[in-house]
Amino acid sequence: MKRREGRGTRISRISRTISELENLAGLYAVLFIAVTLIGAFTLPSLLYQEDQLYPKTIDTNSSLNPYERGGTPFNTTEVRAQYPENSPYLGYVTAYLTPVTRFIADHTPYLGTTIVAHPGGIIDEILYNTRGLDTVAETSILFVAFAIAAHLFRRED
Amino acid sequence: MFELPVTTIEGPEIFVIEFGDIVNYFTVYTAALFTFALLFTILVIISRPERQVDIAFGGDAFYTKDVTPAQMKFQRFMALACGLATLGAMMSGDVFNFTLFTSMVGITNIGIVAAYKYKHVLNAAFQYGIVAMIATVPLFGSAAIILATTGTLSMWELFGSTIAVPLIAKIFLVLGVMGEGMAPFYVAKAEITRAPGAPYVLMIHVSSLLLFLRVVEIVISM
Repeated sequence: MKRREGRGTRISRISRTISELENLAGLYAVLFIAVTLIGAFTLPSLLYQEDQLYPKTIDTNSSLNPYERGGTPFNTTEVRAQYPENSPYLGYVTAYLTPVTRFIADHTPYLGTTIVAHPGGIIDEILYNTRGLDTVAETSILFVAFAIAAHLFRRED
Repeated sequence: MFELPVTTIEGPEIFVIEFGDIVNYFTVYTAALFTFALLFTILVIISRPERQVDIAFGGDAFYTKDVTPAQMKFQRFMALACGLATLGAMMSGDVFNFTLFTSMVGITNIGIVAAYKYKHVLNAAFQYGIVAMIATVPLFGSAAIILATTGTLSMWELFGSTIAVPLIAKIFLVLGVMGEGMAPFYVAKAEITRAPGAPYVLMIHVSSLLLFLRVVEIVISM
């Protein structure tokens, strides 16, 4: 870190501190801490809205815990959506599991997350049907991150 | 079917694109921003990198830096991705979707500068990367607070007068966009743009400017 003589008026010293590149992350962190403190003090005034668009219920006895959404396969399951008219096939495949996955779900109570994460598991209709664009954007971010990492790894210096 | 509750801020809406619960829209304001981002993305596609000339003061000497399109391949790819993310953020009609596109703009900005080999540029990119990583906390934190306190994420509902979005969520959103887009921190950008390859590097400025204009519209409307 470059250190210069602390001459000049107060405002020129402040401006010099801000213009130092090494102080950038610290500057942002100070701003963030200040806002977080305001947030911590106003936290009691925030009320949780009971009428959630994407409700979450936890059924600890289910083998699909914590991703149990209920319903029967290829039948209409009740899935809430902000604009149901935009998702006409909502609720049809929520409960579908492939035979292998059904076997896992019937015999082990602790693999709920694995079942969701592997192909043929629970199809989360909230993610893939009503909020499909989010899924596309998330995977694009991952792709960009991998592309940068690959470029940095492979470049010749 | 979809109508914006308030048209005084961004003008009348032109048309909507429906993706399930995410209903993207174009108003006069966001369509202007979208067109600007689109123009700049096309510019990135068709233009060749600029060549810099260093002039030695006190003499007649000057150096031309040799920049070939092959060296700029990765920057160009990242600038294109940045342009697409900006386009997405301009038309997004959902708070979480907007934050996702914003963080994508942040990470592509890091990608644009990470490919340079000059030390001062990489140093600035490192500092900027730290800030962009910290900024994801307030960015997605604001989306979480909005979902918890209002029960919805769609801007069509949030812009209405019946739903009150807490002030802290708005401040978090602006803070997150500040960190991702680096709008007020021009220190790092000044270091970054001293690198060659003008049209690609300038995408950083364009995307953060447009993001800031968009987040102002969202925060005022909510």
